[in-house]
Amino acid sequence: MTLRWPAAIPARAAISFAAAVAVLALGPLVLDVYTLNLFTLAFLMVAGALAWNWMGGYVGQVSFGHAAMFGIGGFVAARLLLAHLPAPLAWLAGGLAGGVFALGAHPTLRLRGPYFSIATIGLGEAARLVFTYWEDFTGGSSGLSLPIVAGGKEGLYLWGLALAAAVVVASWAIRRSTLGLQLLAIKADVEAASDVGVSATFYQDLVFFLSGGVVGVTGALYASYFSFIEPNDMFGFDRSISFVLMCVIGGLGTVLGPVLGAVVFVLLRQFLLASYPQLYLGLYGILLVLIILFEPLGLTGLYLRLWRRTGGRRAAPPPLAPSSAGEGR
Amino acid sequence: MARFVDLAISAVLLAGLYATMAYGLGLIYGVLRVVNLAHGGVIMAGAYLGWVLHGWLGLDPYLSIPIVAAVSFGFGALLYRVLVRHLPRGAAGGPASLLLLFGVWLVLRNAAYLAFTGNDQVIRTPYSTRALPFLGTWVSVNRLAVLGIALAIPIALHLVLSRTYLGKAIRAVAQNADSCTLVGVDVERIYTVTFGLGTALAGLAGLLSATLFAFNPAFGAGELLKSFVVVVLGGLGSVAGTGVAALVLAVVEVFAILVLPSYLTAAVGFVMLVLVLVFRPGGLFGQRVLG
Amino acid sequence: MPLLAARALSKRFGGLRAVDGVDLELREGEILGVIGPNGAGKTTLFSLVTGSLPPTSGEVLLEGRRMTGLSAHRVVRAGIVRTHQIVRPFPNLTVSENVAVGAIHGARRAGGTARGRTAEALAFVGLEGRAGEPPASLTLSGRKRLELARALATAPRVLLLDEVIAGVNPTEANALAALIRRIRTERKVAIVMIEHVMAAVMSLSDRVVVLDHGRKIAEGTPAEVVRQPEVIEAYLGKAHGGVAR
Repeated sequence: MTLRWPAAIPARAAISFAAAVAVLALGPLVLDVYTLNLFTLAFLMVAGALAWNWMGGYVGQVSFGHAAMFGIGGFVAARLLLAHLPAPLAWLAGGLAGGVFALGAHPTLRLRGPYFSIATIGLGEAARLVFTYWEDFTGGSSGLSLPIVAGGKEGLYLWGLALAAAVVVASWAIRRSTLGLQLLAIKADVEAASDVGVSATFYQDLVFFLSGGVVGVTGALYASYFSFIEPNDMFGFDRSISFVLMCVIGGLGTVLGPVLGAVVFVLLRQFLLASYPQLYLGLYGILLVLIILFEPLGLTGLYLRLWRRTGGRRAAPPPLAPSSAGEGR
Repeated sequence: MARFVDLAISAVLLAGLYATMAYGLGLIYGVLRVVNLAHGGVIMAGAYLGWVLHGWLGLDPYLSIPIVAAVSFGFGALLYRVLVRHLPRGAAGGPASLLLLFGVWLVLRNAAYLAFTGNDQVIRTPYSTRALPFLGTWVSVNRLAVLGIALAIPIALHLVLSRTYLGKAIRAVAQNADSCTLVGVDVERIYTVTFGLGTALAGLAGLLSATLFAFNPAFGAGELLKSFVVVVLGGLGSVAGTGVAALVLAVVEVFAILVLPSYLTAAVGFVMLVLVLVFRPGGLFGQRVLG
Repeated sequence: MPLLAARALSKRFGGLRAVDGVDLELREGEILGVIGPNGAGKTTLFSLVTGSLPPTSGEVLLEGRRMTGLSAHRVVRAGIVRTHQIVRPFPNLTVSENVAVGAIHGARRAGGTARGRTAEALAFVGLEGRAGEPPASLTLSGRKRLELARALATAPRVLLLDEVIAGVNPTEANALAALIRRIRTERKVAIVMIEHVMAAVMSLSDRVVVLDHGRKIAEGTPAEVVRQPEVIEAYLGKAHGGVAR
């Protein structure tokens, strides 16, 4: 009898992951500033994308408004840093602010599918408008400048790595736990899930809170990373879009997906900003269309196809990849 | 008092526009069960098309209505045929269709940005500033014309849906596509036509908006949200419902200016959505949109 | 005290009385059949009992405790669970994962581990060999068993079965009927079953309740109920009054 949950994380995967983190931690010793910054940004986006995926991929509620939590986290942390609070506390507070905001958006969770998504567009836009004009808090269009965090760019690199690693582990753990199972049930059929005892409202609130909280922390670290933030960038629709893109490109609902997607997104963005700055929205649009039509699981889907063709059918699926039937729907 | 009349008239004029927009979104959802996330993009494209026709060909926006309608219809039909058709229908296709159409919206946005830059535009005609006296205040001729057209369109559409064979086929497919196949209705063709009609309405709404407001490539997100609020409030398939819901939204927005600072009025749409959800998810009448 | 009781339960949709003042009692260890023509309100009745639909009036009591107004998942946690007329497996989970979702709450309610309950429920319905497969690979009968296992995994006191037997071939129908009997005797679960397959209802039920147009029109043992003129009329129409089946 094959019960594949709650499964412990396979030892081999855990060791490879720990090794990868250890290697990456050596970054500040060997990498130049430009690469270091790129990596830091990638770590932050990995964390944000994974957290977004808890809503979009696990529970199945695609949010186009996560910039709201990102921005709130960033500005709350920025204000606290300007008030000389130690950085980790300020970041945590930013995360909490993001999470609380998500809880406040509870009424939107009554909506399913596309209705929820459209409502989150409103959420993001409303937040952007309010915070852009709340000049006392956000500095309006001029934005806020932040003090440099202790440890400088190297310190932020390590903090970013720690955050990303923690969120990867959390995503893995959720995915393979009874919580993850219930989330997938909610995603498939919320009524049938309630009919077997799953408290849909509680779990959706919980995941929304966690997702918003982590994205808030990401925003906070992002603020420290750039030492300058302004509302249109932090709260912008493009920001919300980026989370969606990262997860869809990488593979919705998986653990590997957002990681791959975030890395590709950051690299692609650097390249496009340098060479074809006016085309990146359109390119992402085309990418989205192609992915939806041909490989709904994005890069992870391609990876799985490749793995199946080379490795054949084995007992366990590759680490971090979807382990359930019909994943991605 | 004059101020009140002013605002009331503004609300009525706005309502007509919102109704046209919402009807397009609602039609596509009602028949195909797909939420057209490119709706905002098509509205924006309609605005630019009208602006181009006016700026480069000197065509009066009201005369370009048939052109914009036709082009928007064609675009929607093409969109369906080439892309949307391949999506799984129903709840399972939910996130997929959302993301697909969202991708289309991004492409539209980028195309507009490349062709026209990100600057605000608006269509100005010789009569843009003319106004007629009415109930102690002045009403812009432009806004009246927009209202007239914005009212005529959904009514015309309603007549098509209820009186013509095509309209009946559309309504039948909305209720039960499988049975329609059995009686010889070309369901795919109906879907194509419906999608085209939905985008045609969006394009027209964009054209009309362009004569009233400034727009740029990012235009459309707010309109999408408002269309959605109207659809939820008014229910599907009821012109009267859509009309009343559009009026409610417009009234709330316009009178909110009295109490809220100007930057918050754009957030009114979202707040309304939340209120509707909490207090009346079934809408005012018409088919309940939320499950 | 009856295990489950519905008192004057009603549900109106606008002018339509889907369920009209229905009284119901289910005793420990009993199998109660609910029959009636299509549209009689049987499935709606189930939805009222499980909390998926709020009643317009009336109450639902489990061992005297008020269940009315509780949300669906709370009702499950109290010990009442239902299966659906059209089966609703989670398509994105495997067979065992489907059952596990129920088992999580069963373990919470009645102890044990979710894993253990899952295995046990799967074995009980005979699906342990298909544990790792997607529900789509099962036949209809398999999916009905899956729905049953998932419900049983929640460790219920009361099981509401909505047309479990309809739609499968006679061999499978017999097997499902045997399973239902075992549920009552081995697992000590009381059952209410909506069913159209008369042979099944009559042989399985201790008592039967007949609904028509939302109202209860007859109650009694299967043999008694089948002879009552109102019941015959409801199924066959007035012209056939007096003709026993």
